[in-house]
Amino acid sequence: MREPVVAIAGCGAVSAVGCGLESLLNALRSHLLGLGPSEKFSSPRFQSNLVGAAPRDQDDEDPAWLLAREALQQAVGAAKTIKIPPQKIGLILSTTKANIEALERVSAGRPCSKAALRHLQSNLLAEDLAKEFGIRGPVQAVSVACVSGLVALSQGVKLIRRGAADAVFVVGVDCLSEFVVAGFTALKAIDPAGCRPFDAARSGLSPGEAGAAIMLVRDDLTSPTGITLRGYGGSNDANHLTGPSRDGSGLARAIRLALDSAKLSPEEIDFVHAHGTGTSYNDTMESLALKTIFGEACPPVSGAKGMLGHTLGAAGVIETIICTLAMKEKFLPGTLGLTNPAEGAPKSLVRRPRAADRLKNVLKLNTGFGGMNGALILSHE
Amino acid sequence: MNEVSIFAASVVNPADLAATHLVRRLGQRFGRLDLQSQLALLAVESLELDFSGWARDRIGICLATGTGSLSTDVSFWQGWNGVGGPSPTLFAYTLPSAAIGEIAIHYKLTGPNLCFVGDDQIVLPEAFDLIRRGEADGCVCIFSEVVSVELAKIIPATPAASAWAIFLKRGDGLHKLREFDRDMKALCTLIFQIKSAV
Repeated sequence: MREPVVAIAGCGAVSAVGCGLESLLNALRSHLLGLGPSEKFSSPRFQSNLVGAAPRDQDDEDPAWLLAREALQQAVGAAKTIKIPPQKIGLILSTTKANIEALERVSAGRPCSKAALRHLQSNLLAEDLAKEFGIRGPVQAVSVACVSGLVALSQGVKLIRRGAADAVFVVGVDCLSEFVVAGFTALKAIDPAGCRPFDAARSGLSPGEAGAAIMLVRDDLTSPTGITLRGYGGSNDANHLTGPSRDGSGLARAIRLALDSAKLSPEEIDFVHAHGTGTSYNDTMESLALKTIFGEACPPVSGAKGMLGHTLGAAGVIETIICTLAMKEKFLPGTLGLTNPAEGAPKSLVRRPRAADRLKNVLKLNTGFGGMNGALILSHE
Repeated sequence: MNEVSIFAASVVNPADLAATHLVRRLGQRFGRLDLQSQLALLAVESLELDFSGWARDRIGICLATGTGSLSTDVSFWQGWNGVGGPSPTLFAYTLPSAAIGEIAIHYKLTGPNLCFVGDDQIVLPEAFDLIRRGEADGCVCIFSEVVSVELAKIIPATPAASAWAIFLKRGDGLHKLREFDRDMKALCTLIFQIKSAV
């Protein structure tokens, strides 16, 4: 029996460049920098105060709930589907730290509501989101480091293909917190000048936050948007807990698996949206993986973390939304922060946004701590 | 042969960290891991698996953790406010999936990974699906539950520390996996007890 094709029926996003898809699209088109200084991280204990903050009250006690709910609300509003029973709609939450703000508050003896504390646990945050939106199908909380978003999207496809759901909302969220910025400071992984993906002078990431949501649906249940999730591949470097493999072989294997599952050859990929953290080792590894797969004929490559910062568990979801916007609007987003490409970086890096003739098949990449790699292929019929 | 079966099962708790023969096999690095990763890795080592004939890129790892990495998060955050500042080593373990990285590194398993926060009911069906869909030939399944005394003061949970592990693959093993086999902890404990009694 033919497996159902899984399409994207609606999206929502809140990030450093604003609330809603229109804000995100405008930022991508106009190459707008979302990073900015934050008073919250201005203490010398933090490596930098340059972050990608979403438009929200930075003193809110439950920001993960706020960002996730807003993104999900947008996706629900944007989806044009025929009526699907609530028990056939699932929700998958992708997050690394959920509402870590609650731990900071409780530890400091500051007030923290029961709901905010509950959302410290990502599975309970997922349950509450599902309840808020009347979703009664399968609910999962995925947490696979910075690959969480792509794994969650792949899980959504699987739930639909095996008949456990007809539609699945994949919601990615992670928030700026002292906890996370302290952690990356301890690792000396933050670039004080702001994230510069694939740049010769890059020296780290910029912390960011976002809520992002994608509604996946069996394609016969939606009016055609034309964008489908066509292939996925996952792998592990089995090399180092916080550093990627030096040769990019793990990520290259994930890309090959994604190409195989999509039944595509490398020549059929029109655009690559990279992980591009701006850390020295990651970008080098990613460049090597792309060279392994595409040789000297690498399709255009860009990355969003110079614009939005690294949004961790939300990254795979919001960056997939960026791919869908690019495919629908036929343009290549730029790579903010990139001035002078590093030696070995793909020659096809896109510095500034430009029009594209053809964006039929797009490859989205993410990698994460623990050696995890993910590659997702989107197709536009 | 097309059936997916459980080929090994184990349960460990902190008392088992004194099992020197197993811990020695896990090397010096083992002592530097957080408790959740130690228990998960020890549970997998207790499966006594031999991966030498396997294509390591065809073995998946599927983990679920009851409270994510929250016990380690609490320790890390205490360090941020303590003398000497936060530990970069500990920060790497403030991800629920850190134990997967440690297991992958130790056994050189380069296949697909899944990590969920929640109860044990999700592990076996998702691992089964990885094999059924042909994404992996075998899958190391782990459920871990680590609630430190400090964490139990913050969330409504009782202090706990245990890990359960199962190895799934096609063929006739100790127990043929059925659609309703979701209770990983119970299944794992039962098989482990029978195996230990024999």
